[in-house]
Amino acid sequence: MSIQRLPVTVVGGYLGAGKTTLVNHVLRSTEERIAVIVNDFGEISIDEDLIVAADSDKLTLANGCICCTLADGFAAALMQIRSAGTLPQRLLIEASGVADPTQIAAYGHTPGLRLDAVVVMADAEQVRRQANDRWVADTVRMQLAAADLLVVNKIDLLDDADKADDLCDWLAGLSAGAAVVRASRAAVPIDVLLGPGSASDAADTSERPAPAGVVARGWHTVEDLFESQTVVLDAPLPMPIIEALLADLPDGIARIKGLLQAVPPASTEDASEANAAEAAATACLVEAVGKRTSITPHATDLTQPPPQWAISLISLKGALAPDWLRSHLQPSC
Amino acid sequence: MTTAHADRSETNEPFVIYPARRVITINPAFPYGEAVAVAGDRILGVGSTDELASWGEHRIDDRFAEHVIMPGFIEAHCHVMSGGLWNSTYVGYFDRRDPQGLLWPGCTSIDDVLERLAKAAADMTDDSQTLLAWGLDPIYFPGERLVARHLDTVTGDRPTLILHASGHLATINSALMDRCGIDETATSPGVARGGDGLPNGELHEPAGMMLAGEAFVDMMKANRSEQARWRYGNEARNAGHTLLTDLGTTQLWDPDQLSNWKKVTGDPTYPARVMVAMSNLFGATAEPAELAELCVQLKSEQTDKLRFGIVKLILDGSIQGFTARISWPHYYKPPPGHIGNGLWLTAPDQMADLVEPYHRAGLTVHCHCNGDEASEVFIDAVEQVLERHPRWDHRHTVQHCQLTTPDQYRRMAALGMCANIFSNHIYYWGDQHRDVTVGPERAARMDACGTALASGVSFSIHSDSPITPLGHLHTAWCAVNRLTASGQVLGPDERIGVPDALRAITIEAARQIKMDAEIGSIEAGKLADFAVLEDDPLTVDPMALRDIGVWGTVLGGVLQPAQTSDA
Repeated sequence: MSIQRLPVTVVGGYLGAGKTTLVNHVLRSTEERIAVIVNDFGEISIDEDLIVAADSDKLTLANGCICCTLADGFAAALMQIRSAGTLPQRLLIEASGVADPTQIAAYGHTPGLRLDAVVVMADAEQVRRQANDRWVADTVRMQLAAADLLVVNKIDLLDDADKADDLCDWLAGLSAGAAVVRASRAAVPIDVLLGPGSASDAADTSERPAPAGVVARGWHTVEDLFESQTVVLDAPLPMPIIEALLADLPDGIARIKGLLQAVPPASTEDASEANAAEAAATACLVEAVGKRTSITPHATDLTQPPPQWAISLISLKGALAPDWLRSHLQPSC
Repeated sequence: MTTAHADRSETNEPFVIYPARRVITINPAFPYGEAVAVAGDRILGVGSTDELASWGEHRIDDRFAEHVIMPGFIEAHCHVMSGGLWNSTYVGYFDRRDPQGLLWPGCTSIDDVLERLAKAAADMTDDSQTLLAWGLDPIYFPGERLVARHLDTVTGDRPTLILHASGHLATINSALMDRCGIDETATSPGVARGGDGLPNGELHEPAGMMLAGEAFVDMMKANRSEQARWRYGNEARNAGHTLLTDLGTTQLWDPDQLSNWKKVTGDPTYPARVMVAMSNLFGATAEPAELAELCVQLKSEQTDKLRFGIVKLILDGSIQGFTARISWPHYYKPPPGHIGNGLWLTAPDQMADLVEPYHRAGLTVHCHCNGDEASEVFIDAVEQVLERHPRWDHRHTVQHCQLTTPDQYRRMAALGMCANIFSNHIYYWGDQHRDVTVGPERAARMDACGTALASGVSFSIHSDSPITPLGHLHTAWCAVNRLTASGQVLGPDERIGVPDALRAITIEAARQIKMDAEIGSIEAGKLADFAVLEDDPLTVDPMALRDIGVWGTVLGGVLQPAQTSDA
């Protein structure tokens, strides 16, 4: 049995930036079973059609999981989630409008959990004023700096494209390394928010890899603003290549997610052994969202057929060459 | 023959006259008396024994002949966990008396803490039980940090958890670390590490403390037990208090917690009145407007001993935790990596909208504001709400009010706001405020009772128990003397006189919870709630105010002797 750690997505951002709209959008757009934790119900209004039952201390969601509060602390909320309803595939924590998302993200280090991403919402019309407000300038800047994925929401309310470009450049400076994405009504593609393959209408995966080596599986656009590229791998990759890929990511990459086999750097002695690399290969989950990158060992389920080894990338349209990912996975090129 | 006088009492018992060394009434029109007469649960009158005897059939009870009787002390800001924490072993730096009256000497060294824990462990019979302790404040042990390695020497295999005085940290031993799977692979930023890079047993902030799992959850749950509520009341009685305000710790929308309060206070022997604040903290399942409605409804069902009608909001953190919102130049010597200012716990832009539904429902809003940015935001919000919905005599109160500035006090006076000042801070953390958090100048004007008085703002003073020990004689002593733990006077110009301090702990506290028509002074017709003291606060050396013994209280005419049992 494989025991995968439960991914945690933190949604932060100042009051009115669209956090609740985003949470509703996520619940509506994926078949992933997501449990939601909020600071208190006073701040959330999950759409009624997504709720099947409401108790004094929890809501039961249409996906079978629950939405509960931090009333009695995170440990209690986690116990509540594990004992009620369907076991979730992801935790979504909506931070309060003044919370430091970094502090909420610390819960993602609880054993059994894995912090996936800190998504911070910004109100395109208000964020400049808020970031210079007498009372909350430091709070808003702290939140923006905590983002892995910074969603510039309500972008449609800006008069022209130049303003939007200026704003996004300025926000990119404040958020130091976050992937900056634009949205209206918090409608960020689910693959961008939760990782490739998370949308309920996920791209067709029936196409099986055939060729040996590194093969580009193509690329396609994701809801106008983004495009993705996927590389299917039928041989292990040297770890240094993976590390180099993550170490120096260009701007414009929103997400990378891959399940692949990696081998440690070959020493001179091992190099003569043809099978050594194969034997030492371990399964890894490789992820990047904004500046957060990780390579974690992946426990494989031996009772199941081996997974498809592949890596996907989502980037802003036009930011990367269509074969960027493939070219960066080529050994010694 | 039944006299007209007897009808004034709800029973047909003759009324009781208690002659005293002196009765301090806190009623400026009749400040002192020789005796007080009690009919049923009310005060029939105050004056000389002869004057009171002229009311009719009576009985004279001489037991307080050598005592001084004051209005029962009113704590307008504390928390019910003050009773619940005594379920665990106290290891704080300062002496503290438990609800049974037992004095726990302060643990002034790491060795003291370990000795206390060793004894507690030895007294436990069930080997599987976790040893829980509270009150540790490493700020007083600047040399060495108490960590798991120290705890292991006295606790062995018994899982052990100490909650720090701040409530933001916990220290656990190796046995509990093993049980919770906290080892070198831990990635949580809440797991502190020692010089060797390994987790040292210290868990920081909720995200770290929750890793202690059940031990931590159990400690928090103990705060909601019936026993916690009784201990809370007993502690009050022992210190001369007749009313406690549980300011924002009870989830009033939870039927269990509400019925628990009803049950406990419904017991005729329960030794205190309790004002339970409505609060949107801790996971309210309803919007403020609904909570306001619930609070109004509860108010209509209240009893003499269980009261409602006030609301707790919170804006910022604490000064010693560097999380209070303080205006420029912010913190004096913050720890490395500090972000510069404190944290908002409620969005400032949201404040007026949050206050409005409670304000319109006729309730009194009490808002936690430690830093002066927080008090400014709350005052702004009250001003906006008053513009939208003018209302007289709301008595909205700035709670803690630690760095509130003179201009803010002037605005509060103009707006009809009250202050509840955290005077105990001067003693417990005054040295740290002067040397570390805000620096000498601002520390000198912290907890500014003198400015409040001069500005004409009605103010009370408080302990925030369990943050500091409950006991209004001590709190009054702090406001009068402004002495820090190291014995230095902090801001002598903000000191107030004993008579003003005595008003602050009685009638002014009653005023900000809108109970001053019923309690807070000794006057004919008010509830017979007294603090019975061994000495006279108006004649002792002001420096000895906190040393005055407390016989106990009279609560609604019922004698409530303090429990004392020195170790």
